[in-house]
Amino acid sequence: MTVLYINDEEVTVPAGTSILEACRENNVEVPYFCYHPELSVAANCRMCLVEVEGWNKPAASCCTPVSEGMKVVTQSAGLEKDRSMMMEYLLIHHPLDCPVCDQGGACKLQDYAVEHGVGRGRYTEVKRLPSDKDLGPFVNTCMTRCIHCTRCVRFADEIAGTGDMGVLNRGDHMKIDGIVEDALASELSGNLGDICPVGALLDKPSHDVSRPWEMTRHKSTCTACPQGCDIVIESRADEVMRIRPLKGGVEPWICDRGRYVYDAFRSDKRILSPMLRVGDKLEKASWDDAIEKAVTMLKGKRVGIVFSPDWSVEGLAAIRLLHDIGLENPKVAFDLHRRDSRPFAFDEGLTMTTESMEQVDQVVILGSDLRQRFPILMQRLRKRANLGKPVTRIGAMHYRTNSEIANDALVRPRDWYAVIARAMDQLKVLGKTAAGMDEWMGKVEARHEAGKLLADALLADTCALLVGEEIRSHEDAAALIHGLDLLMRAAGHAEEGQDGRNLLPSGMNAQLLSAMFNGTRTAAGEVFAAAIAGELDTLLLIGSDPIGDGLFSRKAKEALAKVDLLQVGSISGDMVGLADIKLPAAAYSEIEGTFINMEGRVRVAENPLRSLGEGRPLWKVMMRLIQALGHDVPAVNLTEMREHVLTMAPDFTALKDIWFAGKAQEDFIPAQRNRKNVFLPNVAKMNAAKGLDVVGRYSMYKEGAWVRASKLLAEAGRIHALDDVIVHPDTLAEMKLQAGDLTIMSNVGAERFTVGTRTDVSPGVVFVSKRGTAGDISGETSVDLGGGQ
Amino acid sequence: MLSSDPKKVQRICFANIEVENMNKLEVAKAHGAYAFLPTVLKDFDADKIIDEVKVSGLRGRGGAGFPTGLKWSFVPRNTGKPTYLLCNADEGEPGTFKDRDIMRFDPHLLIEGMIMAGFALGVKDAYIYIRGEFLHEYNVMCAAIDEAYAANLLGDNILGTDFSMNLMMHRGAGAYICGEETALIESLEGKSGRPRFKPPFPAVEGFYGCPTVVNNVETLATVPAILEHGGAWHAAIGRPNNTGCKIFSVSGNVNKPGNYEVPMGTSLKTLVEDYCGGLQHGTVPKVVIPGGSSTPWLTAEHYDVPLTYDDIMKAGSFLGSGAIIILDETADLVAVTRRLAHFYAHESCGQCTPCREGTGWLERVLTRVDAGNGTEADLVVLNDASKHMAGRTICALAEGAAAPILSMLKYFPDEVRAKLAEKSS
Repeated sequence: MTVLYINDEEVTVPAGTSILEACRENNVEVPYFCYHPELSVAANCRMCLVEVEGWNKPAASCCTPVSEGMKVVTQSAGLEKDRSMMMEYLLIHHPLDCPVCDQGGACKLQDYAVEHGVGRGRYTEVKRLPSDKDLGPFVNTCMTRCIHCTRCVRFADEIAGTGDMGVLNRGDHMKIDGIVEDALASELSGNLGDICPVGALLDKPSHDVSRPWEMTRHKSTCTACPQGCDIVIESRADEVMRIRPLKGGVEPWICDRGRYVYDAFRSDKRILSPMLRVGDKLEKASWDDAIEKAVTMLKGKRVGIVFSPDWSVEGLAAIRLLHDIGLENPKVAFDLHRRDSRPFAFDEGLTMTTESMEQVDQVVILGSDLRQRFPILMQRLRKRANLGKPVTRIGAMHYRTNSEIANDALVRPRDWYAVIARAMDQLKVLGKTAAGMDEWMGKVEARHEAGKLLADALLADTCALLVGEEIRSHEDAAALIHGLDLLMRAAGHAEEGQDGRNLLPSGMNAQLLSAMFNGTRTAAGEVFAAAIAGELDTLLLIGSDPIGDGLFSRKAKEALAKVDLLQVGSISGDMVGLADIKLPAAAYSEIEGTFINMEGRVRVAENPLRSLGEGRPLWKVMMRLIQALGHDVPAVNLTEMREHVLTMAPDFTALKDIWFAGKAQEDFIPAQRNRKNVFLPNVAKMNAAKGLDVVGRYSMYKEGAWVRASKLLAEAGRIHALDDVIVHPDTLAEMKLQAGDLTIMSNVGAERFTVGTRTDVSPGVVFVSKRGTAGDISGETSVDLGGGQ
Repeated sequence: MLSSDPKKVQRICFANIEVENMNKLEVAKAHGAYAFLPTVLKDFDADKIIDEVKVSGLRGRGGAGFPTGLKWSFVPRNTGKPTYLLCNADEGEPGTFKDRDIMRFDPHLLIEGMIMAGFALGVKDAYIYIRGEFLHEYNVMCAAIDEAYAANLLGDNILGTDFSMNLMMHRGAGAYICGEETALIESLEGKSGRPRFKPPFPAVEGFYGCPTVVNNVETLATVPAILEHGGAWHAAIGRPNNTGCKIFSVSGNVNKPGNYEVPMGTSLKTLVEDYCGGLQHGTVPKVVIPGGSSTPWLTAEHYDVPLTYDDIMKAGSFLGSGAIIILDETADLVAVTRRLAHFYAHESCGQCTPCREGTGWLERVLTRVDAGNGTEADLVVLNDASKHMAGRTICALAEGAAAPILSMLKYFPDEVRAKLAEKSS
């Protein structure tokens, strides 16, 4: 620690802290533009000058480390003159267009001009006029306002990893430019508008629409992916104008998916009032009529429930109450991305925070397109790679990460057994083993060299596995995860505090759902199969969009043609026109409620937006149905609902502390672990598969009912799209085929699609864009390819 | 331009500057080049070399005058990272042309100095970053380096010892700012030349994040003589704390402009009158820019100043690189200042606010004033915009840009006023 004096006050800060950070920590105001706590120091704006006793000129506080006994002065006549001159220099070329600039009212330049500037600039010569850039659908530019702080350039280099912004030219010809004349390639591009301290880079979708002081801010939790980022929803009256990361939240950034999904809040796909089918059409109805009709579809009927995991904790518990009290042995499923509903040896959820991923010795990504699925987690890994720490990856594609990947191997889904067995071999030779490992290995003959990368990483002191969708949605996922569990136990990465077994979930609240529904749940595919087989009368879809999302769209379509559909939710998804009854439930932005993210972090939303239309919180809709079905209502307020949650999940004391003891979050909700979930590889089934493995390719701009209803994200999806069906050129060469129109033969028949090639996918794999023309194929596990004719 | 020395005083870097074909290894060897190198490689170690250089009192000849031995002693050892030696041959300071003569006439002196410095610092790879415009000098250096490799003076196991060092030439692209050592490092790394803030200093974190020493050509060319004759020998030349000889590049209104190596402490007047053939007009200069265009001006009253770092600082300026520009009564100081302002506006890298915006602003105002369209208010702007740029930026370019303007306003305000528009108040 270093003791220094700031304006004669003694302060103590860690050695190596900069003067500016020491001032910030001690609430001493020092003006700055280019400094940003999450970016490297550039020290170019020179606004943060302070005086240090004994130094003959002012020092830039952002890049000057503190030293013992240093005497810092942040206010003096000399500094005031310097700051006023700094403002005059900056405003030389800056237009005086604050009245029409969106940044006005939330602008550092404006604030400091008032505080430190003089009323009138003395510059009377010609002004610089840099031209604006086209940086895609999310970032508006007005480059005359740029003050060259280079925050955006550092963001593109260090955070986004794309480096698609840069500095050109010198002196006062210097300009910030998009190095690539195209939309920004980053999934984090929306943050540029936030980090620009002036109005040069602004949020494009909300551009010229509102002023900062007109907005009401609602703290909320993003449910666009299981990261569950802290967000602030900014609204004018009931209309959401934009979404931004919460200042001081856990993660400083949010991704474009979570930011621009708000466009869907006002889409015509919203369910805003109860609707009843009358003939061919859905018509508005009263809540009473709709509930009455719904009862006829549920009472005494064979019901299948498929719900979304992204509801609040209270909503999910209410679904369970409806399941237990209101209905007779319904089939229930919630994960549209999981084929294997057997319980896993380590279930969904992280054992560590995304922040701590920066620290562990080794990180191994197993089968996940992390940048698309978990952009914020990927950003942490990128920071890690920037520090020279290795990331190993094994998967079906060299997914673009905009980051350094130290070790990279391509495998097909059917190779996972051999990968794990190869790693087991290596650990065993080194005397590291776990009970059951021999038996598991004994079931697998083949060995895959990618297993060496896995084993090498496991030998580090600390190792985090990030097990992704390629394994989680595998037909034999329970066996693979048991195998990985054995490996982690053998390598000593399964103990409390050292646990590196992270299974990336497909939705929010995964820990609670496994506690609440393991043993009750079935695979979504089985629910639809039962409907197709005539074993169900009614499908109750609660926020779930099985046609638009997941692996079972083909089956879901078939099922929905056979049974009645009762849809409860905030948005219709791709089921437009299929439902017999729709009941509106309030969106995540419109409720008081609790969310658990994949780290086990608990977030309670308290100041929601007002519901658009007649939507009610989901738990109330469920209670209403229970009552209408003739049962006592188990909960009449949120407190009683929460008591039910604790009855269903008694181990979740963190929830109890936060809800009832008013504590801030201290404990994380743990992911479920059960080493007794022993399942051995079913290699025979794999060997019987068709020639090529299918992997569904996820697009962050297209997956999820909310996201698909956003026109903004649709535009980004169009810009960033790859071919719908992709294979490795060697795969085609081996089969003597050429890229172009080819026949894909699956269990459901032969269809023709345009097939493209890329060398970054694993040979032997067919990559199918889930939301592309061949989307339904992504539900298959293996296919054959044939000629075009 | 090369000039002969009428007094035959002690010379170090220029000792053999007039020898025909001194750039050829054979000739250089005949005049003593590399003669002492085997002794250094066999009998000296790092500490001894650094000590001798410390004792010699040698100060950096590039401009800042930092003690060379001290700079070398800051380099951490056994970091597990390579240590780099970079020779700053970017020689961009207006008025300076001394390194160019060393490189084109006596390249082996520089190479020998670099081998010795590299040996002291445990360097495996050394670079000479040479100003892009110096194509001829680049070719001469490349040929000399090739000869040195062929003679086992560079490369693996130099002269049969355990010491191996490579020496590479790198041409700059004409940016003045790349003469600033950290901008030089950035440029050599392949990035645009923009100075880094310090700390960390290059000695700890320089080229590719590794310990790095950046020395000027003249500094490195002085090293062989110091090691051969001893630090004390060098310390006895010149004045205390300002030891040795220094090459002065004299230009402007003198009869024989050129490079002159004289012992430190020689007076400016002696240099001008005994070596440079005296002033073109009059008996005293109007303005003396003593250390390159970035240094504050001196006037007639300083004509007797001894040429040492300390004396010139006492007079209110800096010895800098030793580029002395003499201006006499015929000089239009506003025009001179405008021309210099144009140079600095063109060469500012653009990263720091005051320099990026200030240099351009100053140039535009001065252009207007020089054209007779200035006002009294412009004098205030010139003063404010210069003063608050100097010392507020990452590197010293802004200080250099401010120096001529502040000097002009300080010593010759009436000359500026004489150019203002008549109607202005």
